[in-house]
Amino acid sequence: MALAGNPNSGKTTVFNNLTGARQHVGNWPGVTVAKKEGSCTFQGHHVKVVDLPGVYSLTAYSQDEVIARDYVVDARPDVVVDVVDASNLERNLYLAVQLLEMKAGLVIALNMMDVARSRGYVIDVTELSRLLGTPVVPMVAARNQGTKELLETVVGVAGGEIPVGGINLQYGQDIEAEIAKLEKLVDGNFPAGQYPPRWLAVKLLEEDEEIVRKIRQAGVG
Amino acid sequence: MDSQVVIQARDESLAHLRKVHGDDAETLIADARYGFISGLMRDVLERPAVEKVTATDRIDRFMLNRWLGIPLFLAILFAVFQLTFVVSVPLINLINAGFDWLGEPTSRIAPAWLGSLITDGVFGGVGAVLAFIPVIFLLYVALSILEDTGYMARAAFVVDRLMHKIGLHGRSFVSLILGFGCNVPAIMSSRTIDNPRDRLVTILVTPLMSCGARLPVYALFAAAFFTAYQGLIVFSMYGIGVILAIGLAWFFRKRLISGESGHFVMELPPYRLPTVTGVLAHVWDRVWAFISRAGTIIFSVVVLIWLLNYLNILEQIGRAVAPVFSPAGFGQWQAAVALIFGVLAKETIVGAFGTLFAAAGDTGSLGQVIGSALGWTPLVAFAFMVMILLYVPCVATISTIKRETGSWKWTLFTIGYTLALGWTVATLVYRVGRLFI
Repeated sequence: MALAGNPNSGKTTVFNNLTGARQHVGNWPGVTVAKKEGSCTFQGHHVKVVDLPGVYSLTAYSQDEVIARDYVVDARPDVVVDVVDASNLERNLYLAVQLLEMKAGLVIALNMMDVARSRGYVIDVTELSRLLGTPVVPMVAARNQGTKELLETVVGVAGGEIPVGGINLQYGQDIEAEIAKLEKLVDGNFPAGQYPPRWLAVKLLEEDEEIVRKIRQAGVG
Repeated sequence: MDSQVVIQARDESLAHLRKVHGDDAETLIADARYGFISGLMRDVLERPAVEKVTATDRIDRFMLNRWLGIPLFLAILFAVFQLTFVVSVPLINLINAGFDWLGEPTSRIAPAWLGSLITDGVFGGVGAVLAFIPVIFLLYVALSILEDTGYMARAAFVVDRLMHKIGLHGRSFVSLILGFGCNVPAIMSSRTIDNPRDRLVTILVTPLMSCGARLPVYALFAAAFFTAYQGLIVFSMYGIGVILAIGLAWFFRKRLISGESGHFVMELPPYRLPTVTGVLAHVWDRVWAFISRAGTIIFSVVVLIWLLNYLNILEQIGRAVAPVFSPAGFGQWQAAVALIFGVLAKETIVGAFGTLFAAAGDTGSLGQVIGSALGWTPLVAFAFMVMILLYVPCVATISTIKRETGSWKWTLFTIGYTLALGWTVATLVYRVGRLFI
């Protein structure tokens, strides 16, 4: 599994809880800039955990975003856990939506529930999970709450017992028409079915240079 | 299939969308995502009618105040150094006394060269470095607390406001603050800066940030020459580093690497109470790195220095280079030797002096012994500290700069400009200082 999430959402704390590692955790965005690996054993399953750099989105603007995205796309981890700061839900979900578009096996770790509660926020976890079409696990990583539930969900998703369909976000009529055209063109052709065609089409429209470069490479060969 | 067909189809789609919506597809797609999320929020999140004014908001009104922000940052940093030195000085003296006690019987070991290696090289050199563990420990306890509470992010925020005004990217200061620990991870953290020009400039000036390895050198001389003002003197080193880093970043950005600067919104995490285990984990990382470096690289370099000294080669090397530093007041061969080997790791400067002067008869602290043997005044010591702060980054930092910039040109440029800057500022300090003292 891979751990993704916004900077300062507590990814590294979750990583340490899962693997027993003692990576540097800072109340400070940008502490993790390269990916780190660890592992744990849960109910007889060996789980490999990769901590990705904290990012707000999966565009190709900065190197940490590229590192995070390439890992999700190229290594195709069985499960991607997006650590989401519950007290900052709206902004954090932008990354979650992008991960859903990539058809990653996404589990949302809804972290810092205590902070959200203390601000008087009430989050309907079941509804959130239903609307996103993916499991959501509430937790307080700083006090190691919810780690077991998270692992249960991860193992369930990896084993295919818990469904992760994800949603197909609609971008509006005009864009959808263009997406459909491009999707047909790339489907099965570029880079050998490694990327979901719809995601490729969206990235093309977003003028993502990294993807254009990859398509050029695949087209020549 | 030809990739050209796909690219062409894409370009047509983009042109079409731009015509219909008057916006690029990228913006439209982002809008759709935000729209979806805000709809989702209405369904799943209940907020209190009036957002509570949190403790974080109340503290920030003060900490981030337009006029108070920077003075508060400076005051907090100064308090940290003052406290660190007041508490650590007796501990350092205790450790030094311990090494002297250990070295007393070993100096009589036969053969004489072995006795000298253990007493002067190991205890004198490595011991002199290890004696500064209390300073390292206390400083990083304080800095970890500031970091874990979320204050450091505020410090970056207030400085960002200032930097933005002079056309610099605020994210750089986050990297620069990390440089207080060690320049290597600080340079690596510049990866989060999306604008390549801003990133390059950040990498170039990060070595001016005073790291943990330079601290023992300051502590050594501050204790011997500025007894009553140790905290202030060391604080001034860090301050000079920060001011020059920002100033040069501005200069480089103007003259060498011009172009528009990226936008940056500094995220302010809520204030959190630091946990004892969290702080100790950070501090342990630092202290352990310090100890293991003392046992490995510092140890090897100190033994090399001892060997060259034993073979009477060291003095020749030092004398060949020393005249270069005469204008700055520290043109003695011992200082030149310390500066040369200091490039391998800055702590070795203390180790080198420790080895060279351990045999010179023990009255007073190492700093005092150096001072009287070389005839240094407090002004010379201060100029020397400035040199240590600014001159050539250590080899680990140099190789990180090479790796992250992927360019020998910029790596050599950094070595060159830091050396020139160190020499110039140290000479200025010494020459101008002499007019007044």
